This record gives sequence, C-alpha cells and structure tokens, in this order.
Amino acid sequence: MSDAAQPTDEHVPTDDDFEPIEVFPESTEMDLRPGADNCYKCSTCDTNCPVAEVDDEFPGPKFQGPEQWRLKRQDDHDIDDSVMKCSNCMRCDHACPSEVPLSQMHNTARGEYVEKQMSKRSLEYWRNRLLSNYRTMAHLGSKVPRLTNFMMGLGVTRVFNEKVLKITSEREFPAFATETFREWWDARGGYATSRERARAAREARGEKTTAETDKRIAYFHGCYSNYNTPEVGKALVRVYEHFGYEVMVPDQRCSGTPMYANGMLGDAERAAKTNVPELAAAIEEGADVIASCTSCSMSLRQEYPELFDIDGVHEVSNNTWEGLEYLRVHEDLKGELEGTTTDLPNLAYHAPCHARNQGLDGQAIEVLSAIDGVEAHDVGDSCSGISGTYGWKAENYDTSMKIGEEMFEHMEAADATHGLTECPTCSMQMEHGTGYDILHPLEILADALLDGGETQSSSGTGPA
Amino acid sequence: MATDTEVLVLGGGSTGCGIARDLAMRGLEVTLVERGNLTHGTTGRMHGLLHSGGRYAVSDQASARECIQEVDVLQDIAGHCIEMTGGLFVQRPEDSDEYFQKKLTGCRECDIPARVLSGAEARRIEPYLAKDVKRAIQVPDGAVDPFRLCVANAHDAERHGARIETHAEVVDLLREGDDIYGVTVRHDSGPGKRTHKTPGTTEDITADYVVNATGAWAGQIGAMADLEVAVRPSKGVMTIMNVRQVDTVINRCRPKGDADIIVPHETTAILGTTDEEVEDPDDYPEEQWEVDLMIATLAELVPILKEARTIRSFWGVRPLYEPPGTGTEDPTDITRDFFLLDHAERDGVGGMTSIVGGKLTTSRLMAEKISDHICDKLGHSASCDTADVPLPGSENLEALEDAMDEFGLRSPVARRSTQRLGSRSREVLQTTDPNPVICNCESVTRAEVQDAIAQSGSDLNAVRIRTRASMGNCQGGFCCQLLANELHPEYDEETARAAYDELFQERWKGERHALWGEQLSQAMLKYALHATTYNADGDPARTGTDVNFEAFDGGQTDTEAGPSGVVATDGGPRNRGGDQ
Ligand SMILES: Cc1cc2nc3c(=O)[nH]c(=O)nc-3n(C[C@H](O)[C@H](O)[C@H](O)COP(=O)(O)OP(=O)(O)OC[C@H]3O[C@@H](n4cnc5c(N)ncnc54)[C@H](O)[C@@H]3O)c2cc1C
Ligand code: SF4
Ligand code: SF4
Repeated sequence: MSDAAQPTDEHVPTDDDFEPIEVFPESTEMDLRPGADNCYKCSTCDTNCPVAEVDDEFPGPKFQGPEQWRLKRQDDHDIDDSVMKCSNCMRCDHACPSEVPLSQMHNTARGEYVEKQMSKRSLEYWRNRLLSNYRTMAHLGSKVPRLTNFMMGLGVTRVFNEKVLKITSEREFPAFATETFREWWDARGGYATSRERARAAREARGEKTTAETDKRIAYFHGCYSNYNTPEVGKALVRVYEHFGYEVMVPDQRCSGTPMYANGMLGDAERAAKTNVPELAAAIEEGADVIASCTSCSMSLRQEYPELFDIDGVHEVSNNTWEGLEYLRVHEDLKGELEGTTTDLPNLAYHAPCHARNQGLDGQAIEVLSAIDGVEAHDVGDSCSGISGTYGWKAENYDTSMKIGEEMFEHMEAADATHGLTECPTCSMQMEHGTGYDILHPLEILADALLDGGETQSSSGTGPA
Repeated sequence: MATDTEVLVLGGGSTGCGIARDLAMRGLEVTLVERGNLTHGTTGRMHGLLHSGGRYAVSDQASARECIQEVDVLQDIAGHCIEMTGGLFVQRPEDSDEYFQKKLTGCRECDIPARVLSGAEARRIEPYLAKDVKRAIQVPDGAVDPFRLCVANAHDAERHGARIETHAEVVDLLREGDDIYGVTVRHDSGPGKRTHKTPGTTEDITADYVVNATGAWAGQIGAMADLEVAVRPSKGVMTIMNVRQVDTVINRCRPKGDADIIVPHETTAILGTTDEEVEDPDDYPEEQWEVDLMIATLAELVPILKEARTIRSFWGVRPLYEPPGTGTEDPTDITRDFFLLDHAERDGVGGMTSIVGGKLTTSRLMAEKISDHICDKLGHSASCDTADVPLPGSENLEALEDAMDEFGLRSPVARRSTQRLGSRSREVLQTTDPNPVICNCESVTRAEVQDAIAQSGSDLNAVRIRTRASMGNCQGGFCCQLLANELHPEYDEETARAAYDELFQERWKGERHALWGEQLSQAMLKYALHATTYNADGDPARTGTDVNFEAFDGGQTDTEAGPSGVVATDGGPRNRGGDQ
C-alpha cells in the first residue's frame, strides 16, 4: 500500500560496480526471505526451543525465523519485540531438519529491531550494550580487580544494577582474576617461549624438532578466560605445548556472541574487523585457530560468515576448532590419557547448546573417561538457561532459572564433586543453581597429562 | 409486468462486481448471480499486475492511457487492494535497443511516468536481477489483489441495496420472442449465504435488463438464448513462489513474449504468463512443461528463481473476443480491449448486453462505460461516483498506521492483517475475545476468519479469498482443519467437514503442479498429518465404523515417567534397544 516514488524524466542513469550483498540498504539488513523457502513448517524447532518451553509469551523460532521473514516487504521495519526473548542458544538451528538459517534470521532481525525500533536513549539499550560489551567492562575491571570485585559485591551496587539497569541482583558478578591470561602470557615470554617449549616437547615425543613445523595454533581465548578464568587459558597453552604445538595468541576482541544476542550487530562487526584479519594472518603462517569457549568457536565458524562480509572470513571459519575437538582429531588423545589419573574424578558434565550445535556434545565425556577412575556424568541435553547475557537481565531471570531447573536437578542427582562444561556462562549458571565448583575439560586434561613442570599457580618468566 | 430486479448482472468477476457497484450507487436495483464464489472465473486466476500501461505503450496506446488513469483512481479508492510496488521493464543484452526506445517513447506519449535506469541502478532496486541486465525503464506498475477488489465492490453494492447471489448458476435465459427478461438459476444450497449440505433449489429471476458479464463463458450464456458470442478463450499459466524474490514488478522489455513478468504479490511472487488458445474454458490441459518453461525463461531475468521454491501453479483463461471477420491467428495479437455487445443492436434481441474482454486494471472504467449504456437503455439518469468514493476498506487509510498497536497482535501479524483489512481493521480486529492466529503462513487471526464467515457462510474457499488463509507455504496443511473448526458451533460437524473437504481439494488442485523440492516435502508432511495423524481417510465419523478403543493401552503411568508424570525435555532416561 505504499506509494512508489513516481519516476521522473530528468534522471541520467549512472553505472557503478554495485554488488548486491545486502538487499536492504543498511549493513545490518540482509534479505533472508529466500531462507524461508527451506521451511516446511514441521515445528521441530519450536519443540526444541528452551525458551518457548517455559514462556508461553514467546512465539518460538518458527515464527521468529521463517514465518516472520516471509511476511516481510522491502520497506517494512517492524520486527516483533519478542525477538529479544530469544536467548540465541541456537538449538533451533541444530534441530531443523531442513537447513533453515534460523539463528541467522534471529540475529539479523534482532539487529534490525535494535537499530530501528529500540530507543537509543532507553536504559534497556544501554544496559544491553553494557552487558554485550563485556570486554570493555572487564578490561576496566581487571585493572583494579580487587576493588571491582569488592564493588560488584556491594549491596548498593547490586541494588543499582537491579533497580536502574535491570540486571538481576540474584546473580553474583564473576570475580576478576588478579592477573589476566594475557598478562600471564606476556610475562611468560609470549610466542618465543611457547616455541621453545613446544620444540622441547616434540623432542621428548620423538617428533620433528626443526623450526619448521605445522604444529602451530592461534589461541582465541575470548574475554572470559582472559579476565575471569585465566586457568582455562593456561591449561590450553600447557596441554597444546605438551603435544608439541607452538601457541600464538593474536590480538583479539570479543567474538561477538553476546552482541548478536543483544542485536548489537554493529559492535560485533567492529570486533570482527579486528579478529578476522588477525586470525587470518595467523592462518597464513600455518596456524589453526583454537578456541576454548564453544560460543567463541561457534561464532567464528558459523555466525561470522553468515553475518559479515570481511576479507578472510571464510578462511577463519574453515580453520577454527574447539580446543578438545582439535586434539581429538589430530592426536591420539585417548592413547595419551590411558593410565593417567586426576584428583578430580567425579564430574557432572553439561554440554553447552553451542557445543551441541557444533556436534561436540559427546566428546568431553568420551575423552575424559579414558583417564583412570574418572566418572563423568552427562546431565542430559537440556539447556542451562543462561545463554550468555540473557539470564543476567532481570526480566529474564525467572525464565532462565526455569529453563535451568532440569539441569540443576540432574546435577544434584549425579554422583559428582565438580561440575564440568566448556562454556563460561553455562558454568556461571551451573554454579549459581547448584553451588558446585565448575571446571573446563581442558583443566582436567592438564591435570591428568602434566605432572610437575609448570604448576597451576606459576606465572614466572620463562619456562618453569 | 413487475420484475424481481431492475438490472440482473451475470458473473461475479471483476467486471460483474464493478457493474453491480456502479449501478447500485446510481440508485438502481441490482441483483448479481455467480455460479461459484466471487472471482470463481478468470478474475480469481489472473496475474495480479496493476498495469501502469507500460505494457501496452507500444501496441495499444488507448489501453495504455486508460491504465495509467485507472492506476491513479485505484490509489484513491482501493488502497487496501493494491500495492504500489513500482515496476521495471528490464532489457537484457540480447534484447533490442530499438524496442527499448519505442517502449520509452510510447510511455511518454501516453503520459506514463518513465525513466531509464542503468543495469546497476536497476539492480540496486532489485538485487536479485541478473548481473548482466543492460538497462531498465522504471514505471509506476503495482500489484492488485483481485479477490479483495471484487469482494469490496460486491460488499459496497450490497450496502447500496444490491442482492449478491453466489453459488447460483444460470441454467437458462428467459426469452420471450425478441426479448430477454430474466434467467433461471440453480442455487447450490438455496438462496442467501452458502451453507453446505443444504439442498439446492432453482429460481427464476426476472429483470428489466440483463448484463452478461460471464467473460470466457459469455458464449455459453448467449447460446442459451440462441445468440452467438464468439469468445476465444486463451489460457495462461502462473506459478506462485514461496517468497518475494522481488519487491518491484519485473517485466522483460521485448515485444510480446511469453513468461515475461514477475509480480510481487502479498507474501509471494507470481510468475506469468503464457497465451494459448483453448476450446473449452472449463476443460483444458494443464501441463508441467508450461511451468518449467516459464521458470526457465524468467530465470534469465532473476536467476535465483531457478533454485527457489514454488508453492503452486494455476491457469486462467482470457475471454478474448474478436469482432466477426477479424481472423487473427496468434492469440497474443488479439486486442486486450473490451467489447460491449448490445444484442438488440447486433441480433435484434432486446433486454441484454454482453461484455467480453478487458483487463482487471481498467475494470472500474469498463463498469462505468457499461453502466452508462444501461442507464441510457433504462432511461435512468444518474452520474457515476465510483472514481471518487473509496471502497469499503479503503477509507482514511492514512489513519491506520497508528491503530496497529491497538489490536494486541504481534507486529508482523498486525501489519499483514491491516494491509488486508484496510480501514475495516478496527471493526474486525478490535475484540475482547482471544484472537489467536489461525493461519500462520499468512498471519490470519480468528477475528478475521470470523468476519469472513459472517460474510460468506460455511464456504471456506470464500473465507480463503477474503483472508488469504491457507494460501501460504503450507497450503492449508496446518490450517484447513482449524478453519473448519471456526465454523462450529454455528454450523454442525457435517457441514464443517464438507467445507473442509472442499477447501482441501481446492488447495490440492494447484499444489500438484509444484511437487518437487521443498514443496514436495511440504506435501508429504501435509499428507502425513491429514491422512495419518488425523486419519482423514479412515475417520470413523466419516466411514461410520466404530472405534476400537480396546486397541489402545492405558498410556504411560506416573512411575514410568518419573516425578508426577512430567516427561523430561530430553525424553527422560534413554531406553536403548527398546522398541519405542
Ligand atoms: C492468465 C491471465 C492473466 C491476467 N493478468 C492480468 C493482469 O495481470 N492484470 C490485469 O489487469 N488483467 C489481467 N488479466 C485479465 C483479467 O483477469 C480479466 O480481464 C478479468 O479478470 C475478467 O473479469 P470478468 O469479470 O470479465 O471475467 P470472470 O472473472 O471470468 O468472471 C466471469 C464470471 O462468470 C461466472 N459464470 C460463468 N458461467 C456462469 C453461469 N452459467 N452462471 C453464473 N455465473 C457464471 C464465472 O464463474 C465467473 O466468475 C489476466 C487474464 C488472464 C487469463
Ligand atoms: S524445524 Fe526447520 S523446517 Fe521445521 S518448522 Fe522449524 S524452521 Fe521450519
Ligand atoms: S536460538 Fe534458542 S531461544 Fe532462540 S529461538 Fe532458537 S531455540 Fe529458541
């Protein structure tokens, strides 16, 4: 019913090299209508959506994705606000038997909603921006970690968060490490040190010891293992060096996961414009990209090429692996683990949704079971419910806990001393709901494989 | 002799409905009879292009001028039936420059706003155009929904006192000597709103004047009174895509050709069309190769069409007419103008005029000219207001945007509903009752379905053309039964079932021409749902057999299913090797 502009006669046609990557004029707007062609409306996605299961107000991925896109005309800009309730767990993607690009549709619609419909002056916008740009906050926080941890714990801060920012006071902010992963890495001597240690390891393993090696990785640590759980990053470095890999740690920014979920595609793209060239350069030097966080590897692999048109984005996507996955494929991990032991044998494992989407939900248990005496229990394939920043928002807290309930119950029923998961936000939820300490599979690997040598707490210079 | 009505209009297509509205507004007493639903004939099987006139700018400039005038008029009076998408005449490298220039000059001669775009500029408007398109002429083409347009015309005619009878087939013309004074109709289910399973009746309707607006069937009607109307029906195929690959009408800029237009229509894009003469407008072959050829040809303009999903194909027949003795061989050469055949002047038989030919775009103007003629015949003097008075649904459309939030619907649902209902949105959608979406593909809510049922009785195809329910990608797989359910409790189970069967059949008719790729999966799912889950074939209510309840076990007990019978999302503990 819109009026088409009435063409006039004065116009002189011009030629340029227009490339129609985006159909709708702005960069956050892609034409995903043809993606709706794949949907035959079976509703499998709806039955797999953890949010739809507990929230009757949420229309579910089928509506959110293919149906809503199909209804769109070029100049329509009214995305339903329910898209903000989607936690971006991407289970729908995984569930769909027909390759509908659901999460891409959600991400793009959410980006458009935030861009076009959410007031840039609203607190919700700024709260979401704050949450999704965790790295900025973490960067500042980590400069004065003790003070920040103290401040965040203060009742008054939490009241401010809850009342003004609508960040739930039910949760405790993750503590900042007193030394970030990168600080540790630099102090340890960076790549040069790693190269030495890897060569020594290769020698010990009877492999090639020359400087020429294809055993090289670029570690994408993400924000959380840098600022909050550097132990995970350190474990990764040590385990890979143990297998003879030289570790590089390129400059990097947030992988974008929390930004997609908040519709901040602009922020995510800016970060991607740092990450892609840095990682592509490392790949050029023969490295494969390894992430310890399953959402980071998901983002680099799937969302980057779906959402951004940056040089090298496909190379990065094709050469990115998750930490355990890579070793499983390239090394005899099980053989190596045979006969090893660990002090942490009884584990309750939760597979993060994003691990599931990459087909990685079974590997942790399988690999760790090779360690003598380890009992790792899978707590089922429900969603933890936190989905990154989602469960931090006061309005989502109840839903988030309701989704998590099944996992909590299974964890409590499991005969375990620790929780286990690859995803930092799942681990927050697991800890919050059950009180368990939560570990990353790489930490167990490090514990089993490396006896002596560089100990967990060391941060000295040079090879310890 | 007192007659039942002053004017009797035969045929409920765009022509008949337009005439009924026009005459009723001029104060005449009008009855319209139609053998099926409104739009049952060609009108319900056309391409949906609101012609700017660009198409006729070289070959038929009189038509072209009429088109551009009517486009203006329809924007004022029928805003909720049309979408001004704009259109492009696209030239590929192999298409003639000379014709391109002729087209451009023709448009300007006919006052059709036209400008030339480079290939790159055209692709900026429509990015899925082929990379090598050379140039394009931009014109104000649009899309028109023929269903809504006819229904609005008929509705307005009724508001002006007309009687509209659907499912009333003319079986005979009443002729005495050289005068036609009415018709015999057979009501499918008695006069008034259609109710399935009500026994049919016949009725003689007498009139001062009869207008034969039965299009491709005009010859059959004429024959009932031994009059010859030489309609040459010509079929054309159209294919509906699942999504809009384009938001602008795309025409191929070359002299008359088959398969050269893509119209973005509602949630879909419609490809069309061809032109091939047929013998019988009710019985002609519908062939797969016609569809294949059309997709292949249009993919030269928009390559993505090759891989894109089609949801159905349908054929329509043009009521082409040639005055006796013209002898044109190729149907594409037959004029698209309309003919008014006054049988008194032509055959010496009074009381009836037949109308054949024409275009939907100019149907209002046609109706005006015909109504002038009839008023003249009846000695009735009244002026025509149809160009100035908006149709019901198209009044004050500007005010509508603000109302969208009031209906408590999700935004895309509210947007689509208001696009369909226009200014009737408030009246229809503002309800305190629960208003769930019944048809998900097209976002049709219960309130809109109920409004349509109130207008058209138990006929779900009539509900369909009013609401688009069941016209999306699942083709009724998920909503036929929900629509039938909406008939209850006003109509009983048997009626609802008959209505459901009819809708289901109608959907299948067009689906069977698109059974490959995704739409085949869709059809299989539909089959699985209806034939197995709903047991449509073996339904005891249909077959009259008893249900063997003994065959079912008692279901899962609480102890098996875990705490309080709640089944875990992960399906509970895995039962490997079980036979579940
Ligand atoms: C393939 C195709 C594509 C087209 N595309 C376009 C386009 O894009 N734009 C455009 O402007 N025009 C288009 N047209 C032309 C347009 O569709 C027609 O001109 C218009 O719909 C004709 O309407 P009508 O009312 O004259 O005929 P119809 O719609 O055929 O109406 C005649 C009615 O009479 C009824 N009838 C028949 N016999 C009896 C009986 N015995 N008793 C009672 N009722 C009876 C029929 O059921 C029918 O409903 C197209 C036509 C075709 C065939
Ligand atoms: S699972 Fe895939 S095909 Fe099925 S309804 Fe969802 S999007 Fe459509
Ligand atoms: S991403 Fe997760 S929460 Fe969002 S619609 Fe899909 S399944 Fe539901």
